[in-house]
Amino acid sequence: MNLKTKLILIGILFYNISLFAQDKYLLSGIVSDQNNVPIPGVNVIVANTSRGAATDFDGNYELEVKAGEKIKFSFLGYISQTVTVTGQKKINISLAEDASQLDEVVVVGYGARKKSDITGAVSSVKSEELAAFPLGDATQALQGRAAGVVVQSNNGGEPGAPISIKIRGNTSINASSDPLIVVDGFVGASMPQANDIESMEVLKDASATAIYGSRGSNGVVMVTTKKGKSGKLSVELNTSYSVQNTANKLDLLNADEFANYQQTIAGNPGYVQGSGDTDWQDLLYRTGSTANHQFSFSGGSDNINFYASANYFKQDGIIINSDFEKLTFLSNIDAQVTDKLKLGMNLFGSIGAKNGVSTQSSGDSANGGGDDVISLMFRFTPDRGIKDPLTGKNTTNSIGENVDNPYAVATERVNETKTDNYRTNLYANYDILENLAFKTTFGFSSVNETIGTYVPSTLLANDGGKGGTAEINNRRSTTLLSENYLTYNAEIGKGALTLLAGYSYQKNKTFRFGAGAQDFIDDDFSFYNLSGSNVTLIPTSSLTEQEIQSQFGRMNYDYDDKYLLTATVRRDGSSNFAKNEKYAIFPSGAIGWKISNENFLKGNDKISNLKLRASYGLTGNQAISAYQSLASFDNISGMYGGDIVSAVVPNQAANADLKWETSYQTNIGLDLGMLNNKISLSLDYYNIDTKDLIIADTSQPVYLGFLTAASLRNVGEVNNKGFEINLNTKNIYNENFSWTTDFNWATNKNEIITLLNGKDILLDASPSYFSRQDTHILREGEAAGVFYGFESRGVWQGSTLPVGTATLAGAVAGDPLYTDVDESGVITSDDRKILGDPNPDYTFGITNSFTYKNFDLSIFFQGSQGGEIFNLTNVQLYNGDSNASKDVLNAWTPTNTSSNIPRIANRRDLSSRFIEDGSYIRLKNIALGYNLPEAITEKFGMSSVRITVSAQNLLTFTNYSGLDPEVNYFADSSSSSTGNTTQGFDFGNYPTIRAVNFSLNLKF
Amino acid sequence: MKKYKYLFLLIGGLSIFGCSDLEEEPVGILAPESYFTSLDKVQIAVQGAFAYMHNRYFLTRETGMTLMLRSDMVEISDPNTSLDRRDHNSLTDAATNDQTYQGWKIMYQIIASANQAIAGADQLNEEAAVKNPIIAQAYFARAFTYFHLVQQFGAIPYFDAPIDNVQEASNVSKTPVADVYANIIADLKFAKEWLPNTQTNKSIPAKSAASAFLASTYLTMGDYPNAYAEAKDFIGKKGDYDIDLEPDFQNLFNADIVTKEPIFILDYTGDSSLGNYSTDYLVPLTGIRKDLQFGSTQEGWAVMVPALKVYTDWDPLDYRRAVSFNATAKFGSVTAPDTPYTGFFAADSRNKNQPYIAKYTRFRGATPGAEGRASSTKYAMIRYAEVLLIAAEALNEVTPGTTEADGYVNQVRKRARDGAVGSVPSLVPANVSGLSQTDFRTMILEERRLELAFEQKRWYDIVRRKLGTTVFSASGLEGAKTFTDANYLIAIPANEVINNPKLGL
Repeated sequence: MNLKTKLILIGILFYNISLFAQDKYLLSGIVSDQNNVPIPGVNVIVANTSRGAATDFDGNYELEVKAGEKIKFSFLGYISQTVTVTGQKKINISLAEDASQLDEVVVVGYGARKKSDITGAVSSVKSEELAAFPLGDATQALQGRAAGVVVQSNNGGEPGAPISIKIRGNTSINASSDPLIVVDGFVGASMPQANDIESMEVLKDASATAIYGSRGSNGVVMVTTKKGKSGKLSVELNTSYSVQNTANKLDLLNADEFANYQQTIAGNPGYVQGSGDTDWQDLLYRTGSTANHQFSFSGGSDNINFYASANYFKQDGIIINSDFEKLTFLSNIDAQVTDKLKLGMNLFGSIGAKNGVSTQSSGDSANGGGDDVISLMFRFTPDRGIKDPLTGKNTTNSIGENVDNPYAVATERVNETKTDNYRTNLYANYDILENLAFKTTFGFSSVNETIGTYVPSTLLANDGGKGGTAEINNRRSTTLLSENYLTYNAEIGKGALTLLAGYSYQKNKTFRFGAGAQDFIDDDFSFYNLSGSNVTLIPTSSLTEQEIQSQFGRMNYDYDDKYLLTATVRRDGSSNFAKNEKYAIFPSGAIGWKISNENFLKGNDKISNLKLRASYGLTGNQAISAYQSLASFDNISGMYGGDIVSAVVPNQAANADLKWETSYQTNIGLDLGMLNNKISLSLDYYNIDTKDLIIADTSQPVYLGFLTAASLRNVGEVNNKGFEINLNTKNIYNENFSWTTDFNWATNKNEIITLLNGKDILLDASPSYFSRQDTHILREGEAAGVFYGFESRGVWQGSTLPVGTATLAGAVAGDPLYTDVDESGVITSDDRKILGDPNPDYTFGITNSFTYKNFDLSIFFQGSQGGEIFNLTNVQLYNGDSNASKDVLNAWTPTNTSSNIPRIANRRDLSSRFIEDGSYIRLKNIALGYNLPEAITEKFGMSSVRITVSAQNLLTFTNYSGLDPEVNYFADSSSSSTGNTTQGFDFGNYPTIRAVNFSLNLKF
Repeated sequence: MKKYKYLFLLIGGLSIFGCSDLEEEPVGILAPESYFTSLDKVQIAVQGAFAYMHNRYFLTRETGMTLMLRSDMVEISDPNTSLDRRDHNSLTDAATNDQTYQGWKIMYQIIASANQAIAGADQLNEEAAVKNPIIAQAYFARAFTYFHLVQQFGAIPYFDAPIDNVQEASNVSKTPVADVYANIIADLKFAKEWLPNTQTNKSIPAKSAASAFLASTYLTMGDYPNAYAEAKDFIGKKGDYDIDLEPDFQNLFNADIVTKEPIFILDYTGDSSLGNYSTDYLVPLTGIRKDLQFGSTQEGWAVMVPALKVYTDWDPLDYRRAVSFNATAKFGSVTAPDTPYTGFFAADSRNKNQPYIAKYTRFRGATPGAEGRASSTKYAMIRYAEVLLIAAEALNEVTPGTTEADGYVNQVRKRARDGAVGSVPSLVPANVSGLSQTDFRTMILEERRLELAFEQKRWYDIVRRKLGTTVFSASGLEGAKTFTDANYLIAIPANEVINNPKLGL
């Protein structure tokens, strides 16, 4: 069946649904609190339908009802009431305040639950927190807000850099640790703009995530966008502007110091000082800015609600020539077609353009790692200007690798990413019976991304005299998603039962193509005129397709509001896996006990809420991409008989038994509310065993001769266990002043249990021009990706070796001493050992919020303790063949033998002297807001005006000597995954920014 | 009725996408089971081996530097060049040396491709007479590569079929040196039997290539009777092979001149479009920093330079010295006056005051890459002069004192004396005659050192003749280097030993 036929069929199906209106009439009334004060904005909903209204400013509502229907009145902070209509025209309701305030609704997979009924581990972030300061990516709002959720930019403050989220550690080795993102029910969607988000929920344990089966093991982020409310039209205008600077600079040598250092310390006596004196950092850093403007309007009648928004974001990065721009549209429409049928549509579209400087280069040795502006800014010799005074051409490094100067690379190299993102999701909800509803959604998303790069001929080292190199790479990914499920509610005596059963089908297609050319007639063409060249590079294209089909079900049973039971199951099939392993089943179960509702605690004046939760379940990770289980050849182009020809070579061996990675997760949690919930505390302990880990077996000898020197196997096992604390206290709460504190703390211990044959896997994260083989290791019993190398033991003075130490073969006085692990008397690769762990011992966030009359102040600190950083930048800066940290002036020389910095020897041996403590505490955000009094705003016809001033990363307390402790070098900033094994490396990261921000929010 | 409608809706929702069998039907991916449908496809697989052979990690960069730097002829110029290179020069290379690792890896990729092509041909129901000439190229590629491996590493893992079982293949023991040589001989005999006398391009092996490497392999094994017999057989068939000495020694190192002398070559065409697969680097690696005599963008990197004594010990009247060295440079502009080598360091501290290798840099041909990357050099893997010298060396071991052996050497020497076509012949090098067996042996190794200077032969000569303690003594060309017999073999890469501990046994 082709798509067109399918769409027609859907049309016919909808058309067939006749309308069932009968005996409807208009009901009205007033909703007030216990003191007879009207409450505006109360949701008045006909139970089990989506028909509803909201009360106006005077608490009035109007709603079409028919006799026998149940009307539910709900409002945050009040106890909901349900009234059955018996034919009366007016119902006035008085809502009681809810002391527990726990009836907040939490969005979970394929539904929503009251927070008090949740049995799993779920954290929520609401729209107010999202709007605390302007965000290029809404994902950043999760940072420090939820225990066990680690959010980090993949490339410091780079405009448009992807943000990675990790929930409860790295549950995999080879596969992505990115959580699944579900936006308004669309699985695997891209994140909407922060201003458009109503709430974000982070589902952490298996009981909450197993409903997403094979995609649940990294946790799930449920995003709900804003919807229109019946009643008055609301128009909102948000605008913000921020000024940004680098959070830090490195203290490097100037031209005179550098020349002197080369001649007297770095063993280069013949060095001739150049005529320039350039502080490359000053030249490349600038004051950046961010502007964000959002316009939205929303509203609705009884039958139709809508929300529409347009958002424009623009950031000029703190490095010259780097910026990002994004225009986003979002609209949600919900229509109550009949009393049983509700239709709706979510639309999302964005266009983004990132104009980047290249950072985090892989440091390809072909051009000396010289395509990375950030590391060049530190490496490049300071005694050169931008242009060579004699030739007028760009300067290249006077020593070491032949690289272009960073200013030339930043300003002349073109690196543009243009992304169009489009998503639409149509749904129909049909109430088959009063307590049985069917929902079907049909959605489509498309991402079209084009990356264009141009290396002009003026970049001498970079371009290698190729006369300019242009490349264009395009990716078009489409997803088709259909989900269909039934929800059934029943009350059986004191018990409440909810059942869910559904079927889902998803198809992903990714088409890529790339083209390139060299030796251009004119550099001005950039990558827009490939035909204006003399050499055409081999074009590439590929297509991958993936299908996932699933059945899923869930049961919730609450007995007497004391005992809660949740069970879910999902059966997932994916085309990616080998024939015998296409399907897998992911069950989970959870129980909850609301102890505070037991008679012996009911009415207790100290303990207002006490709940115990326990869950266990299986979730999966589709750790391989399409076709990876098949044996394959690859085609390469090469020289044969004096011509360029196509050739095939063995690429990888087949693995017919490749299957899913599965996480077995236990979660035990306790929720405690005290003193009328002025103090609320949540504790969670978890243990996640991930088995059948798919490991790219790089321990396969390269003498097998495959082009891909690794094969995938289900051999590994990794364990994560941890403990999370969320504490919320309302310290002071009165009419004019309030002070609340939110504190979260999390610790996670990651341990590799099993690797292939117990063999270590050595990994390398260093830039390839370092020509080192290993920086970190996977070893059973250790955390994934611990640092590996020689242990520094000071400087050898050329005499006897201190006990237990040795030097590398051929060492001279001043060379480093290392621990002689194998006691062989000389340092070889056998003397390497584990040097440090990038995983922090614990992380925490603390937010203090104050309100005084119309002012509010929020102070948010974030911290990380005990993680270590491998400072690869320093490996370069202490190597002698580049500019250097000021510390090198104190390096060992024959006349300065007391130094603890070894002789500058031009060898990049990786040792513990480059590993540092990466602990930090950071004032992540401080924001002061002011709401104009209504008396004033009304004069301008506005319902509210809010002004906010905030600052990000204002203070950082750390002993780390590099630019910033939030490092994330993995040599590929275009991916949204950092990998689980490559953490804590610092090299060529875009610097973290310090920003001051002003924003204005107007509501009409 | 009401109930049927939701049933329709439900069934409709499910049936729109039906049930998929989740089978993967890859488009644009090559599967081994189905690939080999014709000999054309076998040919494309054969090309894989030769494509890898032209990759930089083999002889035109990583492995090539290893062989040149380990010898007593070539040393490090830029003192800050990467440690892997410096370590090979000082013979202090560790098992973690990445240059060694990259070379090891590419050689086994050549072998895997050759094995795949040979196995692919077996899937076809073709006559030997049709398919063997094609797969004989793969046999040659396999033998040629194992010959490099066994000379560098000694006993090594040996495979002559594609890897089906990764686990098993990851746990093999090393194959003894004698067995590796026996297999190389067998492969080369097969290749010699089935390859045609000539090919359209000398980077495609012909019968001559198999025969020349057969002679070279026998010589390396110390099987002098067979080495002599094979070289003699070659000399007798040089007409059939269309191989002969080139009259002007310089023309052998001119990318724009095709001569009869090379037997098997790596053929670069001045094309950098395939990156590592089509770009050679020996030109910049042996060039002089800031030297513009070969063009304004064609300076070298000054990574490798011959020891000064190589130049000063070499008779200035020997034409081959002038061909082999650049003793002057032009700094500042392409038209600057010549600076003698004593001024090289002053021009750039990465240079040394020593003449640089000219065999690759002087006539590099069309070179789109700056600094001589992606030249048009035709790197001779073996040429006719070497076959003559093999015949002479082997004959001296079998039957010392023959005029036949003298004659082979004198052919090579006469060509050297003749110099450039049309010039007045030199008196140097003079003809040899009447040497004792020992003196002849010494003479022939010296002759190879000069005739084949910087052509990646010298290290292997040092290894096979066990010259280490002599040539790396204080009186050696590069001065004293710490040398023990263990240095004759390069350490198998550490990662490979970790991944298969049997390689450490």
